[in-house]
Amino acid sequence: MKTTRTTTRVPSAQDLYTVDVFTVVNGSPMQWRVDTRTTLLEALRDTAGLTGTKRGCDQGACGACTVHVDGKRVLSCLTLAAQADGRQVTTIEGLAGDDGPHPLQEAFLRHDAFQCGFCTPGQLMSAACLLREGRAGSDAAIREYMSGNLCRCGAYDNIVAAIRDVAKGAD
Amino acid sequence: MTATQPDLGTWVGKGIDRVEGPHKVTGTAPYASDVTLPGMLHAVVVTSTIAAGSIVKIDSSALLTLPGVRAVFTHENFPRLNTPTQVLFGEAPVVPMQDARIAFHGQEVALVVADTPQEATEAARLLEITYAAEPPLLDPAGQRRETLPSSPDTSRGDTDAGWAAADVRVGATYRTPENTNNPLGLMGCVAVWDGDHLEIHDSTQGTIALRTILAGMFGVPESGVRVRVPYLGGGFGAGLNQWPYKILAAGAARELGVPVKLMLTRPQMFRLVGHRPNSEHQVRLGAARDGGLTMIEHRATSLSSMDFPAVGLLTSGTPHLYDCANVATVERTVRLNRRYPTSMRAPGEAEGNWAVETAMDELAHELGMDPLDLRLRNLATERDPATGKPWSSNAVIECCRVGAELFGWSRRDPRPASTREGDLLIGQGMAACGFFAYMPMSQARVTIYADGTAAVRSAATDIGTGTYTIITQVAADLLGLHPQQVDFQLGDSDMPASAHSGGSGLASSLSNAVIDAVSHLRGELLALAGPDSPLHGLAPDDVVCRDGALCRRDDPSAREPIADLLAGSGLVELAADGRLRPPEGAARDMVHAAAYGARFVEVAIDPMIGRLRVRRVVTVTDGGRILNKKLARSQILGATVGGIGQALFEDTLTDPGTGRVANGTFGDYLVAVNADVPDVEVAFVGEPDRYTPSGTKGIGEIGLVGVAAAIGNAVFHATGRRARDLPITVDQLMM
Repeated sequence: MKTTRTTTRVPSAQDLYTVDVFTVVNGSPMQWRVDTRTTLLEALRDTAGLTGTKRGCDQGACGACTVHVDGKRVLSCLTLAAQADGRQVTTIEGLAGDDGPHPLQEAFLRHDAFQCGFCTPGQLMSAACLLREGRAGSDAAIREYMSGNLCRCGAYDNIVAAIRDVAKGAD
Repeated sequence: MTATQPDLGTWVGKGIDRVEGPHKVTGTAPYASDVTLPGMLHAVVVTSTIAAGSIVKIDSSALLTLPGVRAVFTHENFPRLNTPTQVLFGEAPVVPMQDARIAFHGQEVALVVADTPQEATEAARLLEITYAAEPPLLDPAGQRRETLPSSPDTSRGDTDAGWAAADVRVGATYRTPENTNNPLGLMGCVAVWDGDHLEIHDSTQGTIALRTILAGMFGVPESGVRVRVPYLGGGFGAGLNQWPYKILAAGAARELGVPVKLMLTRPQMFRLVGHRPNSEHQVRLGAARDGGLTMIEHRATSLSSMDFPAVGLLTSGTPHLYDCANVATVERTVRLNRRYPTSMRAPGEAEGNWAVETAMDELAHELGMDPLDLRLRNLATERDPATGKPWSSNAVIECCRVGAELFGWSRRDPRPASTREGDLLIGQGMAACGFFAYMPMSQARVTIYADGTAAVRSAATDIGTGTYTIITQVAADLLGLHPQQVDFQLGDSDMPASAHSGGSGLASSLSNAVIDAVSHLRGELLALAGPDSPLHGLAPDDVVCRDGALCRRDDPSAREPIADLLAGSGLVELAADGRLRPPEGAARDMVHAAAYGARFVEVAIDPMIGRLRVRRVVTVTDGGRILNKKLARSQILGATVGGIGQALFEDTLTDPGTGRVANGTFGDYLVAVNADVPDVEVAFVGEPDRYTPSGTKGIGEIGLVGVAAAIGNAVFHATGRRARDLPITVDQLMM
């Protein structure tokens, strides 16, 4: 794949600038032909129309764009769409199961673990991995491993309470 | 006095879950950034790389040959717009790209519009601009500065006499840095024109203000401008002003005849949508030996941008909190080649309280008096000391007493540096606080339907505070319905005009508008009751809505099903409007009271590495009637996090030579993260406020006020070292 960039002429061949990505998002196979510069965040939001994943900084510093790639949490703003080729992606739209909301979604509601809601998809996706990673065993661990997800409204105490609730229930 | 609304209490107060919560936890709540319209182009703002001077040349011709680029707007081809209309709140915007002048580093100088965001971003990066730079004015103490008055000067008694009469005196200078609001949601908009009609999806906290300003600038009827804001990714004040980016998007969309989407980047959020400006405070306090204040003097200076007014409010709380005969406040703002400032959560109070409440702690130490006792000795609880009129409510003493009890303040050893745990120095500090009362006009429409459900509509926004939920609760109580039967729709300027979500004023303003609307609706329903009805001839206050019927308040068995009343007149729905009404009766002679609070904090400091951890916070607030205890607690929790950030982390640095933001990213500008925050104990005290029927006082901001001073005072207690400049960083804590 060439990545030549020109600033002086219209490209002569589309393939200098586009890449084909085959991926599975929330269980659905997807094929994207996107600009090589497209991030996974942009592909999810603009190409797939899955706008639940949020852009808060585009620099990997706020966590709002957190999604799962092959079950691991990644910052989709720092991941090129091309890197999702051949992988399984899960976004907030795919967090709930067929039989209803994810327990974390219910716990976030119950504990009022969000205010404006903008960071919430990223918080939930990080929290879901936290449980799988076994890093929700104490409040201190939850606080530490959730510190990559900024919440400017300051719902941290309630986020910890919601995750603690689900972690205890999962024991 | 204004009669307290009697029908609140079934759902009002209960900690029900957020009604819009399911949308937020599933990612389906649509923010402005999520809006896509057919044929939409993407715009990227280009900003100046000098702080003062002018543009000599912008060569956009090369950009127009790049793939996807549709247009480049500069001051040479952006439409000339009308001078903006002054609106009730938020300074009138500076009209962007009208001439070649540069007033600050990072100013909007061009707009690149392309088919995709990537193409617009890439082209924007390549735009070549030639400037004629001039030396910028960046030094607040410099000779060429321009000084504006900000908050009005106040004076009562004789501060010189109070100083002379004092047994103990303190005086010092306190500073706070620039903080950037940084809501997590990047701000932006999508604008689309249809003839003279404009629709804009935006991140504003005030839909009506944006409507008014855009209509005026573009010279189109206000009725044809529609602003849509169903969800906001926070704001904390950054959405109060109607910033140039919206004008650029609307102008480009009109010129190009297609929808234009413009999203700011995080670095641009540090430059283009305001900030809490730096402040400096000289505070002098005098007291008699028994702790009674003999004088308070608070002189404050803040910064603003060249073409911008002052934010002010630094001294707004100082004349009102303490009962002291001799008080003077003076406040000025210096204009420099800096970015536009704005209100940031608890504007002015957050900074002024830091100065005065730190000074109070210094005074307590000099007096050898417990800092809590010094507050209790001087707090003005019955009357506003500035006017002598009674407060409509004031439970600041109770805030202090309850907080001290919950915290265990009485077990504190008052001596500085007296408490250790291993190598850690432990300190406990407190502060009292208030936040000014502010209640701009709101209107609402309540519609009842034949199927027994109801809708409330208002152009308000829910910034995340819980407006959707609390107004649903208020309406449910007034209409005798379950909250699930009430649909509160907001965020649309075609609905009845509403105040912005700002100044902690919306909850009170809008809840009272809904009370008024439902009263009118009862009157409309009564007018449908024929001569044979048991309700015939009654007044709106004589009846209540209950179980789908209109009932006599004093005899609920006398009733008419609302569905029957509607059907009898061939109606399928009935609507009534309401608005915030001026206070009545005795309330007219009261001073509309602020929210009050007391903050108690414990810190642990490792003196070897200068590490400070906030270990415990007890925060008590008098917010009048609490509309939803769960969401109210969240407001205080969140503001506490903001206060911890203000105290320990947040500091937007401006390069003194170039005027450039030196740390304008989330990697470089630190905010409190989850691990920085301890478990916070939140309590509410006080009674429904007597100034309005709903009796609520805004609590979106009060929770931040006092946190920084309580932390700083705890640092003094831990170390014996006084912090007077925020943020309190490692260099101030190394022993």
